[in-house]
Amino acid sequence: MGQVVGLEYLEQEPWRFLISSVTVIFLVLNIAAVLTLAERKVSAYIQLRYGPNRVGPRGILQPAADVIKLFTKENVSPGRADRWVFLAAPIAMFLPAAAVWLVIPFGPGMVVADLNVGLVYFFAITSIGALGVIMAGYGSRSNFSLLGALRGAGQMISYEVPLILSLLGVAMLTGSLSMVDIVEYQAGGFWNWIIWPQLPMFVAFFVSGLAEVKRIPFDLPEGESEIVGGFMIEYSGMTWALIQASEFASMAVMSAVASTLFLGGWQPPLPFLDLGVFNWLWLGIKTTLLIFVFQWIRWTLPRLRMDQLMDLGWKILVPVTIAWLFVTAGAMLVI
Amino acid sequence: MTVAFAFLTGMTLVSALGVVLSRSVVHSALFMSGAFLGIAGFFVMLNAPALAAFQVLIYVGAVTVVILFGIMFTQRPQVRRFRTIINRQIWPGFFAAAGVGAFLCYILVGESWEGAEPGNGARSVAVLGRSLLGAGEGVEIFSLLFEAASVLLLVALVAAIAISRRKDEEEASR
Repeated sequence: MGQVVGLEYLEQEPWRFLISSVTVIFLVLNIAAVLTLAERKVSAYIQLRYGPNRVGPRGILQPAADVIKLFTKENVSPGRADRWVFLAAPIAMFLPAAAVWLVIPFGPGMVVADLNVGLVYFFAITSIGALGVIMAGYGSRSNFSLLGALRGAGQMISYEVPLILSLLGVAMLTGSLSMVDIVEYQAGGFWNWIIWPQLPMFVAFFVSGLAEVKRIPFDLPEGESEIVGGFMIEYSGMTWALIQASEFASMAVMSAVASTLFLGGWQPPLPFLDLGVFNWLWLGIKTTLLIFVFQWIRWTLPRLRMDQLMDLGWKILVPVTIAWLFVTAGAMLVI
Repeated sequence: MTVAFAFLTGMTLVSALGVVLSRSVVHSALFMSGAFLGIAGFFVMLNAPALAAFQVLIYVGAVTVVILFGIMFTQRPQVRRFRTIINRQIWPGFFAAAGVGAFLCYILVGESWEGAEPGNGARSVAVLGRSLLGAGEGVEIFSLLFEAASVLLLVALVAAIAISRRKDEEEASR
Protein backbone atom coordinates (compact mmCIF):
# COMPACT_ATOMS: atom_id res chain seq x y z
CA MET A 1 0.00 0.00 0.00
CA GLY A 2 1.18 3.50 -0.71
CA GLN A 3 3.85 2.49 -3.22
CA VAL A 4 1.81 3.80 -6.12
CA VAL A 5 3.05 7.32 -6.77
CA GLY A 6 0.41 9.95 -6.17
CA LEU A 7 -1.82 7.75 -4.06
CA GLU A 8 -0.08 8.29 -0.71
CA TYR A 9 -2.65 10.86 0.27
CA LEU A 10 -5.24 8.08 0.35
CA GLU A 11 -3.76 6.92 3.62
CA GLN A 12 -3.81 10.34 5.23
CA GLU A 13 -6.54 11.14 7.63
CA PRO A 14 -9.26 13.29 6.15
CA TRP A 15 -8.96 11.60 2.76
CA ARG A 16 -8.89 8.05 4.08
CA PHE A 17 -12.02 8.72 6.15
CA LEU A 18 -13.90 10.53 3.38
CA ILE A 19 -13.13 7.98 0.68
CA SER A 20 -13.93 4.98 2.86
CA SER A 21 -17.19 6.59 4.02
CA VAL A 22 -18.25 7.18 0.43
CA THR A 23 -17.35 3.57 -0.36
CA VAL A 24 -19.44 2.36 2.56
CA ILE A 25 -22.45 4.45 1.51
CA PHE A 26 -22.10 3.08 -2.03
CA LEU A 27 -22.00 -0.43 -0.56
CA VAL A 28 -25.11 0.22 1.56
CA LEU A 29 -27.12 1.52 -1.39
CA ASN A 30 -26.15 -1.53 -3.41
CA ILE A 31 -27.00 -3.89 -0.56
CA ALA A 32 -30.43 -2.28 -0.36
CA ALA A 33 -30.94 -2.69 -4.11
CA VAL A 34 -29.85 -6.33 -4.10
CA LEU A 35 -32.00 -7.08 -1.07
CA THR A 36 -35.16 -5.91 -2.85
CA LEU A 37 -34.60 -8.74 -5.32
CA ALA A 38 -33.52 -11.19 -2.60
CA GLU A 39 -36.65 -10.43 -0.58
CA ARG A 40 -38.93 -11.26 -3.50
CA LYS A 41 -36.95 -14.32 -4.55
CA VAL A 42 -36.96 -15.72 -1.00
CA SER A 43 -40.68 -15.08 -0.64
CA ALA A 44 -41.28 -16.87 -3.93
CA TYR A 45 -39.07 -19.76 -2.86
CA ILE A 46 -40.94 -20.13 0.42
CA GLN A 47 -44.34 -19.92 -1.27
CA LEU A 48 -43.34 -22.22 -4.19
CA ARG A 49 -43.50 -19.50 -6.85
CA TYR A 50 -40.98 -18.21 -9.41
CA GLY A 51 -40.66 -14.60 -8.29
CA PRO A 52 -39.34 -11.89 -10.63
CA ASN A 53 -37.93 -13.65 -13.71
CA ARG A 54 -38.47 -11.27 -16.66
CA VAL A 55 -35.68 -8.64 -16.48
CA GLY A 56 -32.35 -10.27 -17.31
CA PRO A 57 -31.43 -13.91 -16.79
CA ARG A 58 -33.54 -15.31 -13.92
CA GLY A 59 -34.56 -11.75 -13.09
CA ILE A 60 -31.25 -10.55 -11.69
CA LEU A 61 -31.55 -7.16 -13.37
CA GLN A 62 -34.84 -6.45 -11.58
CA PRO A 63 -33.21 -4.05 -9.01
CA ALA A 64 -31.85 -1.88 -11.85
CA ALA A 65 -35.31 -1.73 -13.43
CA ASP A 66 -36.82 -0.83 -10.05
CA VAL A 67 -34.30 1.94 -9.48
CA ILE A 68 -34.96 3.46 -12.92
CA LYS A 69 -38.70 3.28 -12.33
CA LEU A 70 -38.49 4.92 -8.91
CA PHE A 71 -36.15 7.67 -10.15
CA THR A 72 -38.49 8.66 -12.92
CA LYS A 73 -41.68 8.49 -10.87
CA GLU A 74 -43.31 11.71 -9.76
CA ASN A 75 -42.67 12.71 -6.17
CA VAL A 76 -46.11 13.43 -4.73
CA SER A 77 -46.57 15.01 -1.34
CA PRO A 78 -49.93 15.60 0.36
CA GLY A 79 -51.29 19.14 0.13
CA ARG A 80 -51.47 19.68 3.88
CA ALA A 81 -48.13 17.99 4.56
CA ASP A 82 -45.45 19.65 6.62
CA ARG A 83 -43.22 19.86 3.58
CA TRP A 84 -39.76 20.15 5.10
CA VAL A 85 -40.34 17.51 7.74
CA PHE A 86 -41.95 15.28 5.12
CA LEU A 87 -38.92 15.50 2.83
CA ALA A 88 -36.31 15.33 5.57
CA ALA A 89 -37.74 12.19 7.18
CA PRO A 90 -36.39 9.65 4.63
CA ILE A 91 -32.92 11.18 5.00
CA ALA A 92 -33.19 11.02 8.78
CA MET A 93 -34.04 7.34 8.43
CA PHE A 94 -31.36 6.48 5.88
CA LEU A 95 -28.33 8.23 7.37
CA PRO A 96 -28.33 6.31 10.70
CA ALA A 97 -28.67 2.99 8.85
CA ALA A 98 -25.66 3.88 6.71
CA ALA A 99 -23.60 5.41 9.52
CA VAL A 100 -23.49 2.26 11.65
CA TRP A 101 -21.38 0.60 8.94
CA LEU A 102 -18.53 2.97 9.80
CA VAL A 103 -17.56 0.99 12.93
CA ILE A 104 -17.99 -2.53 11.55
CA PRO A 105 -14.64 -4.24 10.87
CA PHE A 106 -14.81 -5.89 7.45
CA GLY A 107 -11.47 -7.65 7.82
CA PRO A 108 -8.14 -7.35 9.60
CA GLY A 109 -7.49 -3.63 9.69
CA MET A 110 -10.43 -2.93 7.39
CA VAL A 111 -12.57 -0.57 9.40
CA VAL A 112 -13.50 3.01 8.61
CA ALA A 113 -13.28 4.26 12.20
CA ASP A 114 -12.03 2.05 15.02
CA LEU A 115 -13.94 3.84 17.77
CA ASN A 116 -13.13 2.74 21.29
CA VAL A 117 -16.86 3.10 22.03
CA GLY A 118 -18.08 1.24 18.94
CA LEU A 119 -20.89 -0.55 20.79
CA VAL A 120 -22.22 2.65 22.34
CA TYR A 121 -21.98 4.33 18.95
CA PHE A 122 -24.14 1.53 17.53
CA PHE A 123 -26.85 2.04 20.20
CA ALA A 124 -26.71 5.78 19.81
CA ILE A 125 -27.03 5.78 16.04
CA THR A 126 -29.82 3.19 15.92
CA SER A 127 -31.80 5.22 18.45
CA ILE A 128 -31.99 8.11 15.96
CA GLY A 129 -34.06 5.88 13.65
CA ALA A 130 -37.15 6.41 15.83
CA LEU A 131 -36.88 10.14 15.16
CA GLY A 132 -37.08 9.53 11.41
CA VAL A 133 -40.22 7.42 11.81
CA ILE A 134 -41.91 10.12 13.89
CA MET A 135 -40.90 12.79 11.37
CA ALA A 136 -42.36 10.74 8.51
CA GLY A 137 -45.62 10.11 10.37
CA TYR A 138 -46.06 13.67 11.54
CA GLY A 139 -44.90 15.28 8.31
CA SER A 140 -47.45 13.40 6.17
CA ARG A 141 -50.25 14.79 8.35
CA SER A 142 -52.48 11.80 7.78
CA ASN A 143 -54.14 9.74 10.48
CA PHE A 144 -52.77 6.42 9.30
CA SER A 145 -49.26 7.85 9.19
CA LEU A 146 -49.53 9.31 12.66
CA LEU A 147 -50.83 6.02 14.04
CA GLY A 148 -47.99 4.14 12.41
CA ALA A 149 -45.43 6.64 13.66
CA LEU A 150 -46.67 6.48 17.26
CA ARG A 151 -46.61 2.69 17.15
CA GLY A 152 -43.16 2.74 15.57
CA ALA A 153 -41.72 5.13 18.13
CA GLY A 154 -43.17 3.18 21.04
CA GLN A 155 -41.89 -0.08 19.66
CA MET A 156 -38.41 1.20 18.84
CA ILE A 157 -37.95 2.89 22.22
CA SER A 158 -39.18 -0.19 24.10
CA TYR A 159 -36.93 -2.62 22.25
CA GLU A 160 -33.91 -0.34 22.62
CA VAL A 161 -33.77 -1.53 26.24
CA PRO A 162 -33.35 -5.29 25.63
CA LEU A 163 -31.12 -4.47 22.64
CA ILE A 164 -28.68 -2.62 24.86
CA LEU A 165 -28.96 -5.11 27.74
CA SER A 166 -28.28 -8.06 25.42
CA LEU A 167 -24.96 -6.54 24.32
CA LEU A 168 -23.70 -5.85 27.86
CA GLY A 169 -22.70 -9.51 28.21
CA VAL A 170 -20.44 -9.17 25.18
CA ALA A 171 -18.87 -6.05 26.64
CA MET A 172 -18.32 -7.81 29.98
CA LEU A 173 -16.69 -10.87 28.41
CA THR A 174 -14.37 -8.98 26.11
CA GLY A 175 -13.72 -6.07 28.46
CA SER A 176 -13.94 -3.66 25.56
CA LEU A 177 -16.50 -1.60 23.68
CA SER A 178 -14.53 -1.52 20.45
CA MET A 179 -15.82 -3.73 17.64
CA VAL A 180 -12.27 -4.51 16.52
CA ASP A 181 -11.31 -5.78 19.98
CA ILE A 182 -14.49 -7.86 20.18
CA VAL A 183 -13.66 -9.56 16.88
CA GLU A 184 -10.05 -10.15 17.96
CA TYR A 185 -11.33 -11.78 21.15
CA GLN A 186 -13.19 -14.40 19.09
CA ALA A 187 -10.14 -15.56 17.11
CA GLY A 188 -9.22 -19.20 16.63
CA GLY A 189 -12.22 -21.18 15.45
CA PHE A 190 -15.98 -21.25 15.86
CA TRP A 191 -15.88 -22.66 19.41
CA ASN A 192 -14.40 -19.33 20.56
CA TRP A 193 -17.31 -17.27 19.27
CA ILE A 194 -19.29 -15.33 21.85
CA ILE A 195 -22.55 -16.92 20.73
CA TRP A 196 -21.86 -20.04 22.83
CA PRO A 197 -21.54 -18.46 26.29
CA GLN A 198 -24.14 -15.82 25.33
CA LEU A 199 -26.75 -17.87 23.48
CA PRO A 200 -29.82 -16.38 25.27
CA MET A 201 -28.36 -12.92 24.72
CA PHE A 202 -27.93 -13.66 21.01
CA VAL A 203 -31.59 -14.72 20.74
CA ALA A 204 -32.68 -11.62 22.66
CA PHE A 205 -30.51 -9.43 20.45
CA PHE A 206 -31.91 -11.00 17.31
CA VAL A 207 -35.53 -10.60 18.43
CA SER A 208 -35.07 -7.01 19.52
CA GLY A 209 -33.16 -6.37 16.31
CA LEU A 210 -36.17 -7.65 14.38
CA ALA A 211 -38.36 -5.21 16.29
CA GLU A 212 -35.87 -2.39 15.89
CA VAL A 213 -35.87 -2.69 12.10
CA LYS A 214 -39.68 -3.04 12.08
CA ARG A 215 -39.94 -6.36 10.26
CA ILE A 216 -42.57 -9.06 10.55
CA PRO A 217 -43.57 -10.27 13.17
CA PHE A 218 -43.03 -6.74 14.56
CA ASP A 219 -44.12 -4.67 11.56
CA LEU A 220 -46.90 -2.84 13.40
CA PRO A 221 -45.68 0.60 12.28
CA GLU A 222 -46.30 -0.48 8.68
CA GLY A 223 -49.18 -2.88 9.27
CA GLU A 224 -50.03 -3.33 5.60
CA SER A 225 -53.31 -5.08 6.30
CA GLU A 226 -54.64 -2.63 8.91
CA ILE A 227 -53.03 0.79 8.49
CA VAL A 228 -51.93 0.19 4.87
CA GLY A 229 -48.31 1.20 5.12
CA GLY A 230 -48.37 3.27 8.30
CA PHE A 231 -45.80 6.01 8.47
CA MET A 232 -44.82 5.62 4.79
CA ILE A 233 -48.33 5.68 3.35
CA GLU A 234 -47.98 9.10 1.69
CA TYR A 235 -44.55 8.57 0.17
CA SER A 236 -43.91 7.90 -3.49
CA GLY A 237 -41.07 7.90 -5.98
CA MET A 238 -37.60 8.65 -4.66
CA THR A 239 -38.65 9.40 -1.07
CA TRP A 240 -40.38 6.04 -0.85
CA ALA A 241 -37.33 4.39 -2.38
CA LEU A 242 -35.12 6.01 0.25
CA ILE A 243 -37.37 4.72 3.04
CA GLN A 244 -37.26 1.22 1.58
CA ALA A 245 -33.49 1.48 1.18
CA SER A 246 -33.14 2.48 4.82
CA GLU A 247 -35.31 -0.45 5.93
CA PHE A 248 -33.20 -2.93 3.97
CA ALA A 249 -29.96 -1.24 5.01
CA SER A 250 -30.92 -1.39 8.67
CA MET A 251 -31.82 -5.07 8.32
CA ALA A 252 -28.39 -5.68 6.77
CA VAL A 253 -26.68 -3.64 9.46
CA MET A 254 -28.43 -5.59 12.23
CA SER A 255 -27.23 -8.83 10.64
CA ALA A 256 -23.71 -7.48 10.24
CA VAL A 257 -23.59 -6.29 13.86
CA ALA A 258 -24.97 -9.61 15.11
CA SER A 259 -22.38 -11.56 13.15
CA THR A 260 -19.61 -9.21 14.28
CA LEU A 261 -20.48 -9.37 17.96
CA PHE A 262 -21.69 -12.96 18.34
CA LEU A 263 -20.48 -14.95 15.32
CA GLY A 264 -16.84 -13.89 15.17
CA GLY A 265 -17.07 -11.15 12.54
CA TRP A 266 -14.48 -11.78 9.86
CA GLN A 267 -12.84 -14.60 11.83
CA PRO A 268 -12.98 -17.86 9.83
CA PRO A 269 -14.91 -20.72 11.47
CA LEU A 270 -11.89 -23.03 11.41
CA PRO A 271 -8.27 -21.83 11.73
CA PHE A 272 -7.06 -23.35 8.44
CA LEU A 273 -9.76 -21.50 6.48
CA ASP A 274 -7.96 -18.18 7.01
CA LEU A 275 -8.18 -16.18 3.76
CA GLY A 276 -5.92 -13.30 4.77
CA VAL A 277 -7.07 -10.07 3.17
CA PHE A 278 -10.16 -11.83 1.83
CA ASN A 279 -11.48 -12.62 5.31
CA TRP A 280 -14.26 -10.11 4.66
CA LEU A 281 -15.87 -12.98 2.74
CA TRP A 282 -16.57 -14.67 6.07
CA LEU A 283 -18.34 -11.59 7.40
CA GLY A 284 -20.29 -11.48 4.14
CA ILE A 285 -21.34 -15.13 4.42
CA LYS A 286 -22.43 -14.80 8.05
CA THR A 287 -24.32 -11.58 7.35
CA THR A 288 -26.05 -13.12 4.35
CA LEU A 289 -27.13 -16.12 6.39
CA LEU A 290 -28.61 -13.89 9.09
CA ILE A 291 -30.38 -11.77 6.46
CA PHE A 292 -31.86 -14.97 5.07
CA VAL A 293 -33.13 -15.83 8.57
CA PHE A 294 -34.74 -12.36 8.74
CA GLN A 295 -36.53 -13.04 5.45
CA TRP A 296 -37.43 -16.58 6.42
CA ILE A 297 -39.10 -15.25 9.59
CA ARG A 298 -40.88 -12.56 7.58
CA TRP A 299 -42.53 -15.04 5.22
CA THR A 300 -43.37 -17.56 7.96
CA LEU A 301 -44.75 -15.79 11.02
CA PRO A 302 -47.91 -13.68 11.48
CA ARG A 303 -47.85 -10.19 12.99
CA LEU A 304 -48.05 -9.67 16.76
CA ARG A 305 -50.66 -7.43 18.42
CA MET A 306 -49.46 -4.24 20.12
CA ASP A 307 -49.98 -5.59 23.65
CA GLN A 308 -48.28 -8.88 22.78
CA LEU A 309 -45.38 -6.88 21.38
CA MET A 310 -45.01 -4.86 24.58
CA ASP A 311 -45.38 -7.99 26.73
CA LEU A 312 -42.66 -9.78 24.79
CA GLY A 313 -40.31 -6.85 25.14
CA TRP A 314 -40.80 -5.88 28.76
CA LYS A 315 -41.90 -9.12 30.41
CA ILE A 316 -39.73 -11.68 28.62
CA LEU A 317 -36.72 -10.13 26.90
CA VAL A 318 -35.75 -7.62 29.60
CA PRO A 319 -35.90 -10.13 32.52
CA VAL A 320 -34.11 -12.81 30.49
CA THR A 321 -31.28 -10.49 29.52
CA ILE A 322 -30.89 -9.15 33.08
CA ALA A 323 -30.86 -12.71 34.46
CA TRP A 324 -28.23 -13.79 31.94
CA LEU A 325 -26.20 -10.69 32.81
CA PHE A 326 -26.04 -11.96 36.40
CA VAL A 327 -25.18 -15.47 35.19
CA THR A 328 -22.34 -14.04 33.08
CA ALA A 329 -21.04 -11.97 35.96
CA GLY A 330 -21.18 -14.97 38.31
CA ALA A 331 -19.42 -17.21 35.83
CA MET A 332 -16.71 -14.61 35.28
CA LEU A 333 -16.15 -14.42 39.05
CA VAL A 334 -15.95 -18.19 39.47
CA ILE A 335 -13.85 -19.08 36.42
CA MET B 1 -10.26 21.23 12.53
CA THR B 2 -11.32 24.83 11.93
CA VAL B 3 -13.71 23.80 9.18
CA ALA B 4 -15.32 21.20 11.42
CA PHE B 5 -15.57 23.69 14.28
CA ALA B 6 -17.18 26.30 12.05
CA PHE B 7 -19.63 23.75 10.68
CA LEU B 8 -20.60 22.49 14.13
CA THR B 9 -20.93 25.99 15.54
CA GLY B 10 -23.13 27.03 12.66
CA MET B 11 -25.27 23.91 12.98
CA THR B 12 -25.72 24.31 16.73
CA LEU B 13 -26.48 28.02 16.59
CA VAL B 14 -28.88 27.79 13.65
CA SER B 15 -30.73 24.89 15.26
CA ALA B 16 -30.87 26.71 18.59
CA LEU B 17 -32.33 29.77 16.89
CA GLY B 18 -34.73 27.44 15.13
CA VAL B 19 -35.92 26.06 18.46
CA VAL B 20 -36.75 29.54 19.71
CA LEU B 21 -38.11 31.11 16.54
CA SER B 22 -39.89 28.25 14.82
CA ARG B 23 -43.63 28.67 14.71
CA SER B 24 -44.64 25.07 15.29
CA VAL B 25 -43.88 23.18 18.48
CA VAL B 26 -42.94 20.02 16.58
CA HIS B 27 -40.43 21.93 14.48
CA SER B 28 -38.90 23.32 17.67
CA ALA B 29 -38.43 19.81 18.99
CA LEU B 30 -36.84 18.65 15.75
CA PHE B 31 -34.50 21.65 15.67
CA MET B 32 -33.54 20.78 19.22
CA SER B 33 -32.30 17.39 18.07
CA GLY B 34 -30.12 19.20 15.53
CA ALA B 35 -28.63 21.34 18.31
CA PHE B 36 -27.98 18.21 20.38
CA LEU B 37 -26.22 16.58 17.42
CA GLY B 38 -24.01 19.65 17.04
CA ILE B 39 -23.05 19.48 20.71
CA ALA B 40 -22.24 15.77 20.28
CA GLY B 41 -19.93 16.85 17.46
CA PHE B 42 -18.14 19.22 19.87
CA PHE B 43 -17.62 16.32 22.26
CA VAL B 44 -16.07 14.30 19.42
CA MET B 45 -13.73 17.21 18.65
CA LEU B 46 -12.70 17.31 22.32
CA ASN B 47 -11.77 13.61 22.02
CA ALA B 48 -14.56 12.39 24.27
CA PRO B 49 -16.41 10.01 21.88
CA ALA B 50 -18.08 8.17 24.77
CA LEU B 51 -19.69 11.39 25.93
CA ALA B 52 -20.75 12.18 22.36
CA ALA B 53 -22.33 8.74 21.93
CA PHE B 54 -24.27 9.07 25.19
CA GLN B 55 -25.35 12.57 24.18
CA VAL B 56 -26.80 11.18 20.95
CA LEU B 57 -28.30 8.12 22.65
CA ILE B 58 -30.00 10.00 25.47
CA TYR B 59 -30.79 13.44 24.07
CA VAL B 60 -31.44 12.80 20.39
CA GLY B 61 -32.71 9.22 20.64
CA ALA B 62 -34.72 9.41 23.84
CA VAL B 63 -35.45 12.94 25.11
CA THR B 64 -36.48 14.42 21.77
CA VAL B 65 -38.60 11.39 20.93
CA VAL B 66 -40.35 11.54 24.31
CA ILE B 67 -40.96 15.28 23.88
CA LEU B 68 -42.46 14.64 20.43
CA PHE B 69 -44.58 11.88 21.93
CA GLY B 70 -45.83 14.28 24.60
CA ILE B 71 -46.68 16.96 22.04
CA MET B 72 -48.53 14.55 19.78
CA PHE B 73 -50.53 12.94 22.57
CA THR B 74 -51.51 16.05 24.47
CA GLN B 75 -52.17 18.76 21.92
CA ARG B 76 -52.80 19.37 18.29
CA PRO B 77 -49.61 20.79 16.83
CA GLN B 78 -50.56 24.27 15.76
CA VAL B 79 -48.87 27.26 14.30
CA ARG B 80 -48.03 30.00 16.79
CA ARG B 81 -47.79 33.61 15.74
CA PHE B 82 -44.45 35.38 15.97
CA ARG B 83 -45.88 37.96 18.37
CA THR B 84 -46.68 35.32 20.94
CA ILE B 85 -43.20 33.85 20.61
CA ILE B 86 -41.24 37.05 20.85
CA ASN B 87 -43.31 39.54 22.78
CA ARG B 88 -44.10 37.68 25.96
CA GLN B 89 -41.61 38.21 28.79
CA ILE B 90 -38.93 39.60 26.54
CA TRP B 91 -37.08 41.55 29.26
CA PRO B 92 -37.02 38.83 31.96
CA GLY B 93 -35.81 36.38 29.31
CA PHE B 94 -33.10 38.79 28.19
CA PHE B 95 -31.86 39.32 31.73
CA ALA B 96 -31.86 35.60 32.52
CA ALA B 97 -29.87 34.84 29.37
CA ALA B 98 -27.43 37.68 30.03
CA GLY B 99 -26.98 36.48 33.60
CA VAL B 100 -26.25 32.92 32.53
CA GLY B 101 -23.85 34.22 29.89
CA ALA B 102 -21.98 36.43 32.39
CA PHE B 103 -21.76 33.53 34.86
CA LEU B 104 -20.36 31.19 32.19
CA CYS B 105 -17.83 33.83 31.08
CA TYR B 106 -16.72 34.32 34.70
CA ILE B 107 -16.21 30.55 35.18
CA LEU B 108 -14.49 30.05 31.83
CA VAL B 109 -12.09 32.97 32.35
CA GLY B 110 -11.27 31.90 35.90
CA GLU B 111 -10.48 28.31 34.95
CA SER B 112 -6.89 27.55 34.00
CA TRP B 113 -6.77 25.83 30.62
CA GLU B 114 -3.18 24.62 30.63
CA GLY B 115 -2.75 21.40 28.73
CA ALA B 116 -6.39 21.32 27.67
CA GLU B 117 -6.35 21.36 23.90
CA PRO B 118 -8.64 19.67 21.45
CA GLY B 119 -7.49 16.06 21.30
CA ASN B 120 -6.19 16.00 24.85
CA GLY B 121 -9.18 14.75 26.81
CA ALA B 122 -9.78 11.43 28.54
CA ARG B 123 -9.93 9.26 25.46
CA SER B 124 -10.28 5.90 27.10
CA VAL B 125 -13.66 4.86 28.44
CA ALA B 126 -12.10 2.99 31.35
CA VAL B 127 -10.59 6.20 32.74
CA LEU B 128 -13.92 7.98 32.39
CA GLY B 129 -15.73 5.14 34.16
CA ARG B 130 -13.25 5.00 37.03
CA SER B 131 -13.37 8.71 37.63
CA LEU B 132 -17.18 8.64 37.46
CA LEU B 133 -17.27 5.96 40.16
CA GLY B 134 -14.49 7.56 42.22
CA ALA B 135 -12.44 4.36 41.96
CA GLY B 136 -9.38 5.91 40.32
CA GLU B 137 -7.95 9.37 40.64
CA GLY B 138 -11.38 10.94 40.32
CA VAL B 139 -13.10 12.86 43.08
CA GLU B 140 -15.14 10.64 45.38
CA ILE B 141 -18.19 12.91 45.34
CA PHE B 142 -18.89 11.63 41.82
CA SER B 143 -19.67 8.14 43.07
CA LEU B 144 -22.15 9.58 45.57
CA LEU B 145 -23.81 11.59 42.80
CA PHE B 146 -23.89 8.48 40.62
CA GLU B 147 -25.69 6.52 43.36
CA ALA B 148 -28.08 9.40 44.04
CA ALA B 149 -28.96 9.52 40.33
CA SER B 150 -29.64 5.79 40.24
CA VAL B 151 -31.91 6.06 43.32
CA LEU B 152 -33.75 8.90 41.61
CA LEU B 153 -34.25 6.76 38.51
CA LEU B 154 -35.52 3.87 40.63
CA VAL B 155 -38.03 6.19 42.31
CA ALA B 156 -39.19 7.39 38.89
CA LEU B 157 -39.56 3.81 37.69
CA VAL B 158 -41.60 2.72 40.73
CA ALA B 159 -43.72 5.86 40.49
CA ALA B 160 -44.47 5.21 36.83
CA ILE B 161 -45.55 1.66 37.61
CA ALA B 162 -47.65 2.83 40.57
CA ILE B 163 -49.44 5.48 38.50
CA SER B 164 -50.25 3.16 35.63
CA ARG B 165 -51.44 0.41 38.00
CA ARG B 166 -53.76 2.70 39.95
CA LYS B 167 -55.50 3.70 36.74
CA ASP B 168 -56.11 0.03 35.96
CA GLU B 169 -57.78 -0.60 39.31
CA GLU B 170 -60.01 2.47 38.98
CA GLU B 171 -61.23 1.26 35.63
CA ALA B 172 -61.89 -2.19 37.03
CA SER B 173 -63.91 -0.85 39.96
CA ARG B 174 -66.07 1.28 37.69
